[in-house]
Amino acid sequence: MKGKRLLFWFVVAVLLGVALSQQSPFQQRVNQAIQSGGPEFQRSMQQDPDQALCSQYRDRLPAELVPAFLERQRKLIKYPADGKLMGDWKKGEELFTNPRKGNCYACHTGDPREAGAGNMGPGLVGYGARGTSEAVVKYTYDKIYNAWASMPCSLMYRAGYHGILSPEDTAHIVAFLLDPASPVNANLKR
Amino acid sequence: MRRNRLYRVLGLALLGFALGVALTQSQQELDPYKEAERQRELFRQTAGILPGELYAAQGEELFYAKRGPRQVSLEACDFGLGPGKLEGALTQLPRYFADTRRVEDLETRIVSCMVRLQGFRLEDIKRDEVKALVAYVASKSSEMPINVVPRTSQEVAMYNLGRELWYHRAGDRDMNCAICHESYAGRKVRLSPVRSPRQGLSNEWPAYRFEADKLYTLQDRIAFCYESIGIRPPVYYSEPYIALSMYMLAEATKGKNRFTEMPGFTR
Repeated sequence: MKGKRLLFWFVVAVLLGVALSQQSPFQQRVNQAIQSGGPEFQRSMQQDPDQALCSQYRDRLPAELVPAFLERQRKLIKYPADGKLMGDWKKGEELFTNPRKGNCYACHTGDPREAGAGNMGPGLVGYGARGTSEAVVKYTYDKIYNAWASMPCSLMYRAGYHGILSPEDTAHIVAFLLDPASPVNANLKR
Repeated sequence: MRRNRLYRVLGLALLGFALGVALTQSQQELDPYKEAERQRELFRQTAGILPGELYAAQGEELFYAKRGPRQVSLEACDFGLGPGKLEGALTQLPRYFADTRRVEDLETRIVSCMVRLQGFRLEDIKRDEVKALVAYVASKSSEMPINVVPRTSQEVAMYNLGRELWYHRAGDRDMNCAICHESYAGRKVRLSPVRSPRQGLSNEWPAYRFEADKLYTLQDRIAFCYESIGIRPPVYYSEPYIALSMYMLAEATKGKNRFTEMPGFTR
């Protein structure tokens, strides 16, 4: 009798496990549609767990998920071997502008002479007004390397995490924004 | 000495004036809508005809010509309003078709008709011919209200699929459609204004893009969008296009939007 009951619960647990590990019919349908777009599309539509989370919550993560999300993203940040978070602003300008690298002008102003800058993100003209304290430099570096470590699911992509910018590249862009000699800060009173 | 100074001031004022003119001038050129309008006028003046109209004329010829292994025209093709009824056909696409048992957009429907009516093999269908046919059929919906309302279960499923793809973040730029075309709609990427579906995004396609000197269908435009965010685009006529078109055009319908002149003329 006891054995029978145990077996019953065992079977229930197995069935529940199978049911929960299955994708929902809708998710299966989505995957099928993505597959119909061809192998290259399918490959580039693959998500990491946090991209999937952002999609699931329509880019607005519930408050209770935010701390763990930020923690995971912070752990992904890597720093230059020499520990210098501010590099060469001239190299930074090239990386900031290059559409295949930072592509920052798509959304941000920078050098005020650049007429074709977008405004999806906050304007960065005169960003150097913040000074170059350790905290400002580190905040700026972290933001560029992995934007999701401070703002979950933000429009700004994780340039360092995806390898588009190396740690050294990131430091150069930090310099482009913070170095008093950079054209970004040309309008600041010295 | 005094006179010298006067000249200097005058010169400086002149320089300021010239700079002011130059700056406002360049600002005018930077407005993409005004620039498209200007380019369109230039085409009208020099060629007398817009490139989009040329594509449509080419499509008209293809539409009525007896072609394919069966040597018939596309006049019997039903775009949802009855065989050969083209007036307003684009406004209600994508929709479900009982004969193919699929939800199809204009491009996919044209391909279906070329296969089912004219007897073409799928692999023999030329993309350029489909694009010209799209331009022609679309020209019969110029400036009409968009009217895509998912009704059948298949259409509702396609809309839901489109919405899911709309929010699907992927690629090394961490993008999806919504983060720009929803959260930041009304702002600009570089100089390009970004609209949401409710604001009428997708209401100008198919269109001639003067910057590319090519006709872009809605599928071409979606492919271009995917490319620009580092995602390899889906193959033409596949479900992601139909799903996204269904989502965008149904939302544009809710926002009470009209199509622009068809084919459109844009940057």
